[in-house]
Amino acid sequence: MKSWERAWRGGKNDWRLHMLSVFSVAVAFVCLAAALLVVVNIDSVRNRWASTGRISVFLKATASPDQAQKLETALRATPGVADVNFVSSRDARADIMKNGGGDLLAKLPDAAFPASLELKTVGDPTGEELKTLAARVESLPAVESIETYSGWTQKLGNLLTGGVTAAVLLALVVFGAVVSVVGSTMRLTLQRRRIEVEVLKLVGATDAYVRRPFVVEGAAQGALGASLAIALLGVLYAIVTQRLDGELALLVGASPTFLPWTFVLGTVATGAALGASAAYVSLRRLLVV
Amino acid sequence: MEGVDESGTFRPMLRAGARFDPSAANKPILVFQDVHKAYKADAPVLRGMNLGIERGEFVFFTGPSGAGKSTLLRLLYAEESLDSGRILFMGREVGRLTPEAIPFLRRNIGVVFQDFKLVENWSVTENVALPLEVLGLPARLIRQRTGEALERVGLGGRGNDLAGTLSGGEQQRVAIARAIVGEPALVLADEPTGNLDPQLAVDILGLFEDIHDTGVTVIFATHDRSLLDIRPRRVVILQDGKTIDAPNGLEDPEELDQLQVA
Repeated sequence: MKSWERAWRGGKNDWRLHMLSVFSVAVAFVCLAAALLVVVNIDSVRNRWASTGRISVFLKATASPDQAQKLETALRATPGVADVNFVSSRDARADIMKNGGGDLLAKLPDAAFPASLELKTVGDPTGEELKTLAARVESLPAVESIETYSGWTQKLGNLLTGGVTAAVLLALVVFGAVVSVVGSTMRLTLQRRRIEVEVLKLVGATDAYVRRPFVVEGAAQGALGASLAIALLGVLYAIVTQRLDGELALLVGASPTFLPWTFVLGTVATGAALGASAAYVSLRRLLVV
Repeated sequence: MEGVDESGTFRPMLRAGARFDPSAANKPILVFQDVHKAYKADAPVLRGMNLGIERGEFVFFTGPSGAGKSTLLRLLYAEESLDSGRILFMGREVGRLTPEAIPFLRRNIGVVFQDFKLVENWSVTENVALPLEVLGLPARLIRQRTGEALERVGLGGRGNDLAGTLSGGEQQRVAIARAIVGEPALVLADEPTGNLDPQLAVDILGLFEDIHDTGVTVIFATHDRSLLDIRPRRVVILQDGKTIDAPNGLEDPEELDQLQVA
């Protein structure tokens, strides 16, 4: 009988205990997966705003199309500017509405959205270079204000660093929780299957042979717990985005996204590896020939 | 090394390591030399015990409770370690086996306990098949061998029953089937009739005699004097940490007198 068959037989007999363990592992993993989800979305927002070398030049409401045209030409000739794109009030409005502007914004006239010239700079300028260029452009006529997004990106970057730190700390807590939960379950399972283990050793099973199905069970608990966590988070995500998708998009300028499938697979694989390791370590101490 | 020979019969053996002695085949299967064992320093269980058991013998170990019968058996299958002395099983010194070698020793020994030690929520077949699964035999062979073992103990056709639903006598038969299914060289029975009524005890003893008739060495530990009188067999009495050997059993009046004097 193969290890997984023995694990299935054991798991079937102790299914309540295993379900309890899977649920506990899932609770721990939900915290980690939620932290990852936040990090992924902050990163996505940062990427949305952090396209380096981007400057928005907002035009005065009184600026005529002719002035805008002249300004565009002047900007194209400015050293350090690679491309200039005129975004009219109507285009700006359409862009915002596309990203989930909501009913309130839809009611506003085109004039409420300032026209702008979107500049792309040459190469990947530093913050200081961007500031110098912005100062030069701001002095031009018909320019209302300049946005380099560096402050916003900086804040998002800081937030992302904080999020990653929190996720790492949470990951450590989750690892501890999973090791503890699976280890305790294995000790309980071992106690419940004391006779089976005793007989196995008596008939000449090696420690590895005895341990293997327990390790498979630990891996299954970890993987199932992580999968359940992802599923729970998916449901919560669906509920939240269904209600707040538009508002969130308006607030941060990007629609929220769920965890990429690589993260999902990684989380499940981490759960399996952690469960197997916890089972292996706890049984190693308890199983002696 | 274990394997299946040309006739399809499985022959478990100890792995022939560096210290394997081929001449052991002509020597007693089991030798105890000056064996000492104590759980408490001031109360030794075995005090310099010496004994030799030939291949194919049927030996009763008897003595009062606490005399060391179970300890002796546990030393044999390396569940416990000796304080001093030597136990040679098939020419190999049990006390010097590495932890990795102990499972291979146990594959050559079938053990039956008073409390059966069956996994109650498993079927009879699953319980009996365990030693063969450990050996990694093909499923078809396991089914065949398990069926044969169950036939031998009179439980043919009961393979699908849950072990926990059987009577005490039937559970002990399952345990015996499990002990012999791997065709071990030695079968140890530690008070196997302790939980059974007298008639069942006699039946179970008969089963061990059948096993012995196939050439297997059997050590039967019991404190039930009535079983020793059924047939003249070699009896080893454990008393005060030493053994008193009665090669012809306790029915020989002369020998009994000597034992009583001892």
